[in-house]
Amino acid sequence: MKRNFGFPLVVGVAMVLGALALPHAMSSPYYIHLLTLALIWIVLAQGQNLMQGFVGYVSISQAGFMGIGAYASTLLTVNFGFSVWMTLFLAPLFTGFAALLAGYPSLRVKGHYFSIVTLAYNMVIFIVLMTFSALTGGESGIPNVPRPSELNLFGHVFSFEGRSNLNYYALVLFFAVVATGVCAMVLHSRVGRVMLAIRQNEDLAEAMGVITSRYKLFAFVLSSMLAGLAGTLYAHYIGFLNPEPFGVDQSLNVILAVILGGSGTLMGPIVGAVSVTFLPEILRFADSFRLITYGLILVVATIFLPKGLVPLVMGLWRRLRSQAPSYKT
Amino acid sequence: MIEFLQQILNGLAIGSVYTLVALGLTVVFGILGIAHFAHGSLAMFGGYLTFVFSNTMGIPFFAAIALAMPAGAILGMLIERLAYRPVRDAPHINAFIIALGLTMMLEGGNLLMFGADQVIIQTPYQQVFEFRGLFVSQLRLVVFITAVSLVALVTVLLLKTKTGKSVRAVAQNRHAAVLMGVNVNFVSSVVFAISSALGVAAGALIGALLALAPGVGESFAVKGFAVLILGGLGSLPGAILGGLVLGVSESLAAGFLSSAYKDVISFLVMILVLLVMPQGLLGKK
Repeated sequence: MKRNFGFPLVVGVAMVLGALALPHAMSSPYYIHLLTLALIWIVLAQGQNLMQGFVGYVSISQAGFMGIGAYASTLLTVNFGFSVWMTLFLAPLFTGFAALLAGYPSLRVKGHYFSIVTLAYNMVIFIVLMTFSALTGGESGIPNVPRPSELNLFGHVFSFEGRSNLNYYALVLFFAVVATGVCAMVLHSRVGRVMLAIRQNEDLAEAMGVITSRYKLFAFVLSSMLAGLAGTLYAHYIGFLNPEPFGVDQSLNVILAVILGGSGTLMGPIVGAVSVTFLPEILRFADSFRLITYGLILVVATIFLPKGLVPLVMGLWRRLRSQAPSYKT
Repeated sequence: MIEFLQQILNGLAIGSVYTLVALGLTVVFGILGIAHFAHGSLAMFGGYLTFVFSNTMGIPFFAAIALAMPAGAILGMLIERLAYRPVRDAPHINAFIIALGLTMMLEGGNLLMFGADQVIIQTPYQQVFEFRGLFVSQLRLVVFITAVSLVALVTVLLLKTKTGKSVRAVAQNRHAAVLMGVNVNFVSSVVFAISSALGVAAGALIGALLALAPGVGESFAVKGFAVLILGGLGSLPGAILGGLVLGVSESLAAGFLSSAYKDVISFLVMILVLLVMPQGLLGKK
C-alpha cells in the first residue's frame, strides 16, 4: 500500500509559511497575541484529539494537565534556576509521568466513566493548585515567570522578551508543528491503527488479541504530555501564573475545539483551536452569554455537524471537483 | 471515638443526597445509555428555584421543593426531546459531548438568572438534638429522611407500577421492549422527568445543607458518577451503599484531615476502589 504524502506535505508547508507571514500582515499587536495563544491551543487540541478523536475516549482533564506542565516548568525556573530551554522538555516529561500514574486506574473503566474519572482528576488538580499555596501561590499566583533566554543560532541572536514577541511566536509555531507532526506519525503507525480500532470496536480489538489498555494508556500519556507542553509555552508567554485557566471549563473548551474542527482528523484541531481562540472576540457583544453560546455551539455542532468543520469543507470541495466538467472524451 | 461516630453521622446526611443524585443518573444511564452529566447543573437550577420560592416569595420549604420539582421535570423532558433524542442512534460519545454542552448552557443560565453569589436556602429546622454525647442537627435529619423517602418512592415506582415495568424492560433489552409494544419515546420522557425531579430535590437539599454557587453542580455530577463507580454500575443497592460510603469518607476526611482537601480525598477513595475492585463494591463481575 503506497500512501500519497505529497499533498498533505505541500499543504503543511504552505500553512507554516502562511503562519510565519501572518503577523506581518496584522496591524495590531493584540492580534499577534491572539495568534500566539491560538498556536498554544493547537498543541493542546492536538493532544486532546489523540484521545477523543483517535481512541474515542473523551478525557476532561486536558486543562488540568496543562496546569501541571505550566506549574512544573514555572517552579523549576523560578525556584531552582532551571533554564526555560530545559524545562520545555522536563515539564512535559513530568506531566507525562503524572498522566501515567493517573491513567492506570482510570483506564480500568470504559467509555463515559473514564471521562468522569478524568474530570475528577481535573477537579483535584484545580483544588490542589488553589489550596496548596506554599508551593503554588494559591489564587494570587506566581508573578514574573521568565521568558526563555536569548538564543544564538548561526550568529543571529534571537530575544524572546517583550509583548507580542515575534520570536516567541515562531517558537510556539515550531512546537505546534512538532505536535501536529507527532500526531501524524502516530496516526500512520501501527499504534495509530490500533487506536482507531479501539474507537471503532473495543471488544473486537480485544478479541483480536490486542491489549487495548496499553494503547489507551500510551495515548493518554502522549496527550497529556502535549498538554504539559502547551502549559509550559503558556506560562512563559503570559509571565504570570494562577490556577484560573486550568479549571474544568477550559477542558470543556478544548473538547469544543476538537469537535468544532473535526475530531479524528489532523486539520480539525488546528481549525478548532483557532476558532475557539478567536470566538470570544467575535462574541464580545454578548460576553455574559458566552458560556451559554459555547454550550449551544457544542450541542448544535454535535447534532448537525458531528464530524466537524474540516470534513464538511473537504466534502464540499470533493463534490465541487467531481461536478466540474471533465475534458476526457 | 465519639468524634469519629459524630463524623459518620454527619456524613450520612450528605451521603443520602449523593445517593439521590446518583439514582437520577443511574436511571437515565440504564435506559438510554447516556452519561447525563448536565444532571448536576440541572439540580443546581432546581436548588436556585427553590431558593427563590422559599426565601424570596416566602413559600414553606417543602412546598417550594414540590413547586420546583415539576419545573425541573419539564426542563428535563425538553432536554431529552431537543438535545438527546436527535443523537440516539449516533455513537454514545456524541450524547456525552452534548451532555457537556448542556452543562455549559445550564451553568451559564444559572449564572445569568441567579448571579454568581453563594446562596443558602433558609429552613426552619434549626434545632440540635443530643443523644449520649452525639449531636444530630434537625436539618441533617430532615435532609436524610427526605432523601431516603424519595429513593424509596422511586424504587417502588420502578418495581411495582406498569410504567416502571416498561422502564425496566427498555433497560434490559430495548429491541425486545419495542417488539412487546413499549413506547420507547414515552419511556425516555418519563425517565427524564423522574430523574430531573429527583435532581431538583437533591439541589434543594444541597442548598439547605451546604450552599448553592456556580460550579457546585459540576462537582455534584462528578460525585454522583463517583457513587455509581463506587457502588458498581447499574446496581441500585450499590448506589445506596456508594453514596453513604462517599458521604462518610468525605465527612471523616473533613473532620480529621483537612476540610479544604475533602473533595480530593473522596475522589482518591473512588480511584482506590477502581484499582482494587474495578467492578465496584456491589457490582457484578
